[in-house]
Amino acid sequence: MNEGRTTARWRSADIVAALARWVLGGLFVYMGLSKALHPEEFLKLVRQYEMVSHPWLLNSIAGALPWFEAFCGLLLLGGVAVRGTAVMLVVMLVPFTLLVLKRALAIAGAKGLPFCLVKFDCGCGAGEVFICNKLLENSLLIFVACALVAGWGRRLALRFSLLRTPIQGRTPAPADRV
Amino acid sequence: MKRVLLEAVLVAMIGTALAFVANGLSPRGLKLTRDYFPGSNRTGAAVQPATTEAQGGTGRDLAKPSAAELAVARLKEKGLQVVDCKQALELFHDPRLAQGTIVFIDARNDEHYQKGHIPGAWQFDRYHPENYLSAVLPVCQVAQQVVVYCAGGDCEDSEFAALFLRDSAQVPGEKLFVFTGGWNEWTERGLPVETGGRNSGQRGVSK
Repeated sequence: MNEGRTTARWRSADIVAALARWVLGGLFVYMGLSKALHPEEFLKLVRQYEMVSHPWLLNSIAGALPWFEAFCGLLLLGGVAVRGTAVMLVVMLVPFTLLVLKRALAIAGAKGLPFCLVKFDCGCGAGEVFICNKLLENSLLIFVACALVAGWGRRLALRFSLLRTPIQGRTPAPADRV
Repeated sequence: MKRVLLEAVLVAMIGTALAFVANGLSPRGLKLTRDYFPGSNRTGAAVQPATTEAQGGTGRDLAKPSAAELAVARLKEKGLQVVDCKQALELFHDPRLAQGTIVFIDARNDEHYQKGHIPGAWQFDRYHPENYLSAVLPVCQVAQQVVVYCAGGDCEDSEFAALFLRDSAQVPGEKLFVFTGGWNEWTERGLPVETGGRNSGQRGVSK
């Protein structure tokens, strides 16, 4: 009886994790493509962060990053190399969120605005957003990505791990022994 | 965890390679070696662009120059002439516009141009000059005054389009004028607009 309940709870958690993976993947595909289709707009926004000044680097970031985001989104949607992809999302999201925060603080300081009233196009692919909403959204995305790194979202994944590891404690099935 | 990191490296490598290929194949892709912002110096303007103030927060120190004043100073520093909306309107109503000796150049992308532009303006998307130069260059060579505009406000596309025309296409600098208020100011004042292609006949007044 208890075992049945536990199984049902695990199934719900699996479904929630798979949904979170799809939402994260879908969001990255959408955000990536919306920038990839208008790379010059994204180029202007990247330039505003003043991270790089060399044209080749600036163009490479603005030209390739949106496609890379869409690629990662597709992998998550399909459930391919989920943990590795999620690591890449964390690697992108954390510094980007810090950059957005830094820029928002600069705008708030320069314009004398309360922090949460700062609104600007951060280059996320969704146009102008209030900074507090953006930071909250990114924190949630980072949380979901970390959960995927921890192994969530296996259900309905085409190939969860690209580099398969044997499952500990599992008796190999006849097919596995071949 | 080691495998996860290895997987992440694989994703990064394959994804980066595919991303560069996609950018190269995309008709809207960026040319990696092109300097889209030649001679740009953004000191002091880093915080200003692409921001809007939410309700209740004007916060501007009157002693400090506005973004528009900074833009005008920057343009003049680069040797570009500037026209305001009143002067642009005078040029628009000048009979020489019909003769082609006054020309308006819209430096925005195709999507924005099709939605609406100053009637008779030629499109010159500076990010894809190869697509427009063959049409725009002869027009600029014949014209006595070339007025370049983009969205206005913090938009710099008109500035870089004018610099491209002057420095790369050899259009004499004394002909070139940047309309700093741009499309936003033009439409805010309810001035004539044209939608679709150039001389499409779909004219109206902006709301």
